[in-house]
Amino acid sequence: MDGSVRLDEVVMRFGDFTAIEKTSLTIGSGEFFSFLGPSGCGKTTLLNIVSGFLVPSQGQVFIGEEPVAGVPVNRRPTAMIFQNLALFPLMTVFENIEFGLEVRGVGKKQRRETSERLLALVALEGSGPKQVTELSGGQKQRVAIARALAVEPRVLLLDEPLSALDLKLRQHMRAELKTIQRKTGITFIYITHDQGEALTMSDRVAVMSAGRIQQVADPMTLYRSPATGFVAAFVGENNRLESRLVDREGQRVRLDAGALGELAGSAGEDVSLGNGDRVALYVRPEHLKPVAADAAGPRLEGEIEAVHFEGASVMLETRLTASGEKLRVQLGHEVSRQYADSLTVGQRMTFGYDPADAVVLPDDGSAVVDETTGEMVDSRTAAGGAHVSSA
Amino acid sequence: MFRQLSARFGGPLAVAILTLLGIWLIVMVTLPQLQMIEYSLKPNLLPAQIGGPEDRLTIANYATLFNNDIHRSIFFKTLWSSVLVTVLTLIVSYPLAWYLAKVATPRQAALCILLLIIPFWINEILRTYSWFIILAFRGPLNEVLMMLGLIDRPIRFLNGDAGVMVGMVYAYILFMVFPVYNAIESLDDNQVRAARDLGAGTVRTHRRIVIPHAKPGIATGCIMTFMLAAGSYAVPALLGSPGSRWFTQIIYNWFFEGGNWNQGAAYAFLLLVLCIGFMSLVMKIFKVGLGDIAK
Repeated sequence: MDGSVRLDEVVMRFGDFTAIEKTSLTIGSGEFFSFLGPSGCGKTTLLNIVSGFLVPSQGQVFIGEEPVAGVPVNRRPTAMIFQNLALFPLMTVFENIEFGLEVRGVGKKQRRETSERLLALVALEGSGPKQVTELSGGQKQRVAIARALAVEPRVLLLDEPLSALDLKLRQHMRAELKTIQRKTGITFIYITHDQGEALTMSDRVAVMSAGRIQQVADPMTLYRSPATGFVAAFVGENNRLESRLVDREGQRVRLDAGALGELAGSAGEDVSLGNGDRVALYVRPEHLKPVAADAAGPRLEGEIEAVHFEGASVMLETRLTASGEKLRVQLGHEVSRQYADSLTVGQRMTFGYDPADAVVLPDDGSAVVDETTGEMVDSRTAAGGAHVSSA
Repeated sequence: MFRQLSARFGGPLAVAILTLLGIWLIVMVTLPQLQMIEYSLKPNLLPAQIGGPEDRLTIANYATLFNNDIHRSIFFKTLWSSVLVTVLTLIVSYPLAWYLAKVATPRQAALCILLLIIPFWINEILRTYSWFIILAFRGPLNEVLMMLGLIDRPIRFLNGDAGVMVGMVYAYILFMVFPVYNAIESLDDNQVRAARDLGAGTVRTHRRIVIPHAKPGIATGCIMTFMLAAGSYAVPALLGSPGSRWFTQIIYNWFFEGGNWNQGAAYAFLLLVLCIGFMSLVMKIFKVGLGDIAK
């Protein structure tokens, strides 16, 4: 059964507002695919287009290589798990799971067999006769999954279904969802603003911002080689330092960061940069290490403004002596113990990094983190989103 | 109850509220009703005979209804017609309530509700008279239907029950629309979306999801409409033909034309029993308690 989903130049407009810029994308059959982005980026709109709740202003959607334009919600081979789950509160667990089968005219005996089997799959044996209102949050979650799987969808659409659960349960359900996806082989399209969810579960992730797909890649590539400034800032944490390109040798790039002196980083071969271009250097906090003040390689000197003990690591908030910019440094267990005496507010330290770990991208100015809330600002004026088309 | 009230409003105000409530319930509801029951159990006597040997309790007034074929048939016809009015009102109101609650934009809904309410600024008698004019043999409705070529000759709408039905559905529509609207409005949109997503068509979505959710509202609307219909006087008096008399008209006649309050009281009490019986039945059918309706 082909559960592939293909978007062909899909555009969604609401009045003057363009929620989805022209987007083409193919999701493979049996793939666990996530859309990751801040709220308002258009990811839920895309999900609603696939499920049929919204009709795109332009473009075509194919499920299993068949166009689904004109096919109403109740006839699409998709099933949705809603953010608030939308279980039917007046029905029992059995009735909830069997609803889709009842609609399809499946006999009572067969319905019960299917729901028993699905309850076993989601580890809820024996809960069938219960009212859904009697269940805990995690159990409701499982019933919602079973109810969606009962109709044997080719594509399961999940709209931030874990957001209502507490942290422990959420982490547990991540693993469970991944297991269920592997067991059933159904295409999962997962919507989330939580990068942890997207990175741990997905085969591939599409990062969205302002109605555009910024990058489609597997989680590791996304993390290590972000294609745009937005992705670099949104996925994981990154220190962004503006500079100019001095010269380039393969992937290795030398930079002039003004007051910060000479720095280095690496740029993907497909990123076109010219000497003298304005660029942004992204250095992740965990890639920074204390070094001697006269060590070789790129160096950044900062004054510690705050020390946050985070259990497995220590996060330092520093201010660069030369430019006054903020620099966040994350030190692992070993390193933080080694430098324990120096990790005090007001202390000056020099940090270095391996240029291979630092990504250089054209300075598109799109990635802006709100200083007060720490949230990504998804400005609709942001330019430079790569038009991604992956086959 | 007193403790809750005094916690919220303070002692003196709580006493005042409960006193007013008590006066209202006892003086204005319970006592008159008890007096009617007392009337109904006594024969209709001249003032001189009151307190005399003939002034004793009797069920003769109730027996009248069961011995009088015409009155009995009108009694059951009133019951049946009121059920019909209730069902018709529900059929008309449900799509409207659905539209107002889930389909219309807030602007459209506000406009629609305004249009529904405006006619009710006019006195009920006048509204009913306007239906009398519309439905008349040579009235505008017949004219329009003839002009459209849908009928060859005018229909006597006011003959039989049709006029009464139309008048009543119109008169009580708000009492059905609003409770049903409130109930549907409180339904999470995702419930409907989920049902659609799982493959349910429009009819099944309503039957399995929307109607069960809206049941308390539907029951409230049905009970109110039935009570109003069964107790209605103006609409059947104006729009009814001699053949479609309502039980309330007979009660009225006993009181104000027959001058037999005792007989009228017995009939009125039976109508009350009928209404309470219907209400309990509806609540049983819809499996709702008084608490659900009071929500």
